[in-house]
Amino acid sequence: MLSFCFAQSSKWKQNKMKYLFTILTIIIMTAPTTAQNGKATTVKTTFHRETSVRIDIKADAAIVWALLTKAPDYPRWNSTITSIAGNIALGEKIKLKSVLDPKRTFNLKVKEFETNKKLVWGDGQGTRVYTITNSGGGTVTFSMIEKIGGLMFPLYAKMIPPFDQSFERFAADLKKEAETIMNAK
Amino acid sequence: MTLELFNQEFEGIVGQLKSYILRITASIADAEDIVHDTYLKALDKLHTFRGDSSLKTWLFAIASNIAKDNLRAQKRWTENTTDITKEAALSNRQFFQEAMNIRMTSPYGQYEAKEHIALCFTCISKSLPLEQQLCVFLKEVYQFKVSEIMTILDTTEAMVKYYLHTGRSKMISIFEGRCALINKEGVCHQCSELNGIFNPKQNTQEELMKIDLVREAKISDKEHLFDLRMRILREVDPYKSKATELQLHHLEHNRRVMEKYLEERVD
Repeated sequence: MLSFCFAQSSKWKQNKMKYLFTILTIIIMTAPTTAQNGKATTVKTTFHRETSVRIDIKADAAIVWALLTKAPDYPRWNSTITSIAGNIALGEKIKLKSVLDPKRTFNLKVKEFETNKKLVWGDGQGTRVYTITNSGGGTVTFSMIEKIGGLMFPLYAKMIPPFDQSFERFAADLKKEAETIMNAK
Repeated sequence: MTLELFNQEFEGIVGQLKSYILRITASIADAEDIVHDTYLKALDKLHTFRGDSSLKTWLFAIASNIAKDNLRAQKRWTENTTDITKEAALSNRQFFQEAMNIRMTSPYGQYEAKEHIALCFTCISKSLPLEQQLCVFLKEVYQFKVSEIMTILDTTEAMVKYYLHTGRSKMISIFEGRCALINKEGVCHQCSELNGIFNPKQNTQEELMKIDLVREAKISDKEHLFDLRMRILREVDPYKSKATELQLHHLEHNRRVMEKYLEERVD
């Protein structure tokens, strides 16, 4: 129907490529970036890259929150993080080591800290946002989005490994640990 | 509740209460003080006790609150506490002389490996975050239900479960890595070494094999071994055994060493 209407106009004929590009861009931009439960997706543009994952967890938000905010405990349950030093609290600085780049220490600042709901940390190159939303029936939806980029991004983009697999493992580990705790007698 | 009934019931609970406080503080003096303050506070608030929980739960809640105020001001111990305290003991002749004197003269100065296993757990548990340590003791040793621990620590079911799970997991991991009773590669042999010192005529290996935890080490999983360790703690009353005096002397030594160590350590 849409293409029919466009096809009828003379403007369409003149600017066919421009319209197609615009439609394609709208589709990409509005597509749910965290579509499949537990499956990560990545959207790339020239200056940014955004990876996200979401997963349903049958556990209390407080348990998920506790797991996300107790820094020394991460390596015990999370197979993607080697260590986090520091206190995960608003305005605090933490040092994170990841299995993706074991030799590198990420110096991050906790930018938002809304108990049981939202945690944001990041540095000059990127920001990671964790959210926990109540989905009813004793289930919460956990989502994690990391956006990296900036004007210099094209220069180093190729040096940054893909996050998808690591995000999926993070989400799966969190779900497993939170549900184990929730189901404990 | 009448004062007479309260006193009568308090008498029945105070032994467990004192043992719990001793184990979380690792201090004989603090345990005495906190139990005393708990009695006074409970007496003062007795008119507010409506029986929504058991008196035992209520008293443990009061005691835990007082203890938490004390403990929050202190640094947590480290996982390798037994290495640090052993090194200090080896260079402290007076400690061994006192210990040997207790061993030779006191009717409560016997050395039993089980008592030392309980003492070892007490010391290492102080490396856990406070809430995790309290939850592990309340559930695994003093056998409170999750709902009762919620009342004692004034927190939610989710958080009790979180503290309990993480505390238990960490202790399992520490003992799995360190304890030679359950892991041939374990670095800590203190309970058998001390048995050799204090009970030289005994065959240490034979003595250790009388303990379920040791006997089942090769055939049981780590969760079950932790349960067996917890059973030892339930069976041992740190104030009432033939090893009490020797173990309390050892605990006091460890506390002093750790306090000094943590004070001098630059984080």
